Amino acid sequence: MKFQLNILNNGGDCCGSDDSREKQCGNHTGCGGCSDAPDASSRRQFLNKASTVALGSFSLTLLPMSGDLLSDEPSPDDPDGAPADAGSRTADQSDEVVYGFLVDTERCVGTGKCLTACREENNVPEGYARTWVERFVHYKDGTVQVDLVPETGFAGSDVPPIAPGLVDRAYFVPKLCNQCEDAPCNQVCPVHAAFTSPEGVELVDPDRCIGCAYCVQACPYGVRFINPETGNADKCTWCYHRIKRNETPACVEACPVDARVFGRLDDPESELRKRLAAIPTSVLKEHLGTHPKLHYVAKSGEVI
Amino acid sequence: MHASSFVFPNDPHVPWSIMIVLYPYITGLVAGAFVVSALYHVFHQDVLKPVARLALVTALCFCVFATLPLLLHLHHPERAFNIMITPSATSAMSGFGIIYNVYMLLLVVEVWLVFRPDIVALAKTTNGWPGMVYRLLSLGDREITKESRAVDEWLIRALAIGGIPAACVLHGYVGFLFGAVKANPWWSTALMPVIFLASAVVSGIAALIALYLFFCWRRKITPDADCVRAMSRYLWVSLTIAVSLEMLELVHMAYEAGAEWHAISTLLTERLAISYGVVQVLIGSVCPFLLLLLAVRPRLNPRWLTGLSGIASVLVLVQVFAMRWNVVVGGQMLSKSFRGFVEYPLHIGGREGLIAAAVILALPFVALIFASRLLPLWESGDKHVLSSKPFQPANTGNSLTTGTLTSVTNQQRTMFNEEDTADTDAFNYGAVMRNEHV
Amino acid sequence: MNWKLIFSRNTRHLRILVLLVVAGGGGAFFVRSQMIPADYGQNGPYRHAALAKIEAQPSVLQSDTTCLKCHTNVEEERSESPHAAVRCLHCHGNGKQHIVDATKAGEFPEHSIPPAKKWDGKFRTHTDLFITHDRATCLSCHTRVVGMPDSFLSINVAAHLEEQGAEEINSKNVCFECHEGHSPGL
Repeated sequence: MKFQLNILNNGGDCCGSDDSREKQCGNHTGCGGCSDAPDASSRRQFLNKASTVALGSFSLTLLPMSGDLLSDEPSPDDPDGAPADAGSRTADQSDEVVYGFLVDTERCVGTGKCLTACREENNVPEGYARTWVERFVHYKDGTVQVDLVPETGFAGSDVPPIAPGLVDRAYFVPKLCNQCEDAPCNQVCPVHAAFTSPEGVELVDPDRCIGCAYCVQACPYGVRFINPETGNADKCTWCYHRIKRNETPACVEACPVDARVFGRLDDPESELRKRLAAIPTSVLKEHLGTHPKLHYVAKSGEVI
Repeated sequence: MHASSFVFPNDPHVPWSIMIVLYPYITGLVAGAFVVSALYHVFHQDVLKPVARLALVTALCFCVFATLPLLLHLHHPERAFNIMITPSATSAMSGFGIIYNVYMLLLVVEVWLVFRPDIVALAKTTNGWPGMVYRLLSLGDREITKESRAVDEWLIRALAIGGIPAACVLHGYVGFLFGAVKANPWWSTALMPVIFLASAVVSGIAALIALYLFFCWRRKITPDADCVRAMSRYLWVSLTIAVSLEMLELVHMAYEAGAEWHAISTLLTERLAISYGVVQVLIGSVCPFLLLLLAVRPRLNPRWLTGLSGIASVLVLVQVFAMRWNVVVGGQMLSKSFRGFVEYPLHIGGREGLIAAAVILALPFVALIFASRLLPLWESGDKHVLSSKPFQPANTGNSLTTGTLTSVTNQQRTMFNEEDTADTDAFNYGAVMRNEHV
Repeated sequence: MNWKLIFSRNTRHLRILVLLVVAGGGGAFFVRSQMIPADYGQNGPYRHAALAKIEAQPSVLQSDTTCLKCHTNVEEERSESPHAAVRCLHCHGNGKQHIVDATKAGEFPEHSIPPAKKWDGKFRTHTDLFITHDRATCLSCHTRVVGMPDSFLSINVAAHLEEQGAEEINSKNVCFECHEGHSPGL
């Protein structure tokens, strides 16, 4: 193997100029004669060169990906030259309509009308949910029980009723997509099928989703699923098709007690903004930094 | 305190199946096998010479089938190329397109370069369609000159060096894919890429020990004890590192006892007690650790050595599979509500079932056996390189005369068993290509 | 670097290899660039046409304004009562087919609106209308369930009926002995 090193070095350095090597080699007929002598310096040089070449050529493979990030000119991924990050809004979207959502857990009575409305409106398959309502029951002994409101409401269901005497307090918590500002679902989609609309609604391109379910794993709120009929990732879209027509989302339409409020975040005069300003609100799993646009009124710390 | 269990309604539908357990397992074997061949080609661990060629071909055979579990998992496999058409710079998964293809190319080129002398020799002697394949692969070369071989060797080493970070990325990105999911506290840790990589190296070395012993048994020759001992030593060291990292992550999580620790500890003690505690830790880590400790003693009877190493490596292969299972499936068993767990129903049949997984796992081994028939995995190809004159240095201005490659019949090839080719490093071609052997 | 060697016959196979790799890689990148959708990247890193496709999904749920276009009396009837917030579809069903029929009847007077389909008694929002004079409709919201805020008027059925002295406590429309649907307050 040592011969090859010397070929590349043009025979220049192989035997070196220090005396020790001369004594070892004896003759200087060429590097072939020194084949048995230790040749550390040329090996080092070789490793230097080889590793530079290898790492350099390897880093070249990253060019196609990094080009989109580094280039200042418009690239196919983003015409404004900004990084191709689908999660947050870019500057040119700030003058667009931005929607928000408010859930009032003190008003929800757990009828489940929103659930059937969503299922009807969006053709959600059985066994999956774009929205659901949880019931939190704080017992007097300190335990907390959480269960799901059946789609037809508790009244018509088989769920055994809870004795009110054992209960400290109880409330309903509707859940739906938070339409996060820094959505981890969009961040992890490998094919840019999960994206943010100009209005800040996270959507899934039904013709490009490959069904890898990475977004399902990345959502901290469990609102995503793979639709078994279409094979695409699916989730609550705040009824994007309705809000674009100036209708309200189906669940908001269906709520008889106005526990779900939908509106515009960008308009300071909107009812939603006024309500958000009036009372303290919170979001789910705030520590994860997803910045949801879904706000909760009067949410207990038990709710996650 | 939590009175009853509660899971979000979409959580029972576990999206990542045994196929997603298989994918890191296979790429781990690829990366690990490559590391073994790099130990020989780059770090001059000549004691690993008997398995150097096997390691490369194993890496290639597994790499070829690495995409299969992913294609079976995707709900839209016909759109799989979207990952390369519109990849996302923020998604670890989209790195697959470039990383996998580059690595595959690197492996193919390296295997081709290593086996080129054999391919050229076989191109002249084989008939029929295998002969056509050889002739195609030889790219029209009828002989191998010393300089061309020298350049090949340089490139092999360059690729082996470059392949080490590439192997790290090939498996490290899978670890990052899991480790960067903040929604899942069982996955989310900075150590995940390192754990996956260490585990990959472990699985590769173990697979090579097992394969080497298997092939020696089939060929009815005694395994090289020094080689097996060296590999067992490497396995022991890397197993220690990998298990230490896994335990570190767990201990760290338990010590900090963050918000979700109550859910994770219940996951471990109730749902993953068997697959983690028994299979991964006890049977898969502690047992091989002790077996290898016994096996690597220098004066151990070779039969004991191969027996203990063989068993240890099989146990380690099981451990690595269990580790992937516990990460992928275990992480999904934990509901995002952190108040309950879901079951993963392992189907027997179907696209993502046990049978499909077994078939996918078997295919690389079938390919390996096929490859062992096509290419000589056990002999050095250097004997096919020409040497009619002693080597002249290039700066004297003489170009080497290239002698003619006389046809090397199979009979002549079998004359050169492993002992003869053991010192081809010194370029002792004289004994190989003299006319008197014709 | 021994350039003579790099370009000699000895490295021909490597030059062919490099050519194949470059050609293959270049070809792959070219093919890839052709397969990127034309409207990709127009507004952001996604296919712009997807927005239109998602927007095109038809609305299923009818809002009250659609019903009130014809049933104008209802708005006044429930203007003072909390049932103003209850949607028509909760008690009457979505009525999508009904609206289609009614619109047709408006244009073609000879077209008659068929009677509302009989409700099968299951609690779900039909796209059709259903019979509302049924206690199940009222009780789907007003049965007292743990979790309801205290301010929400809800009853334990048996206790309430006994307390109020209802006459036919087992009949389907017992609620309507005392309450009226659009303004149920007494």
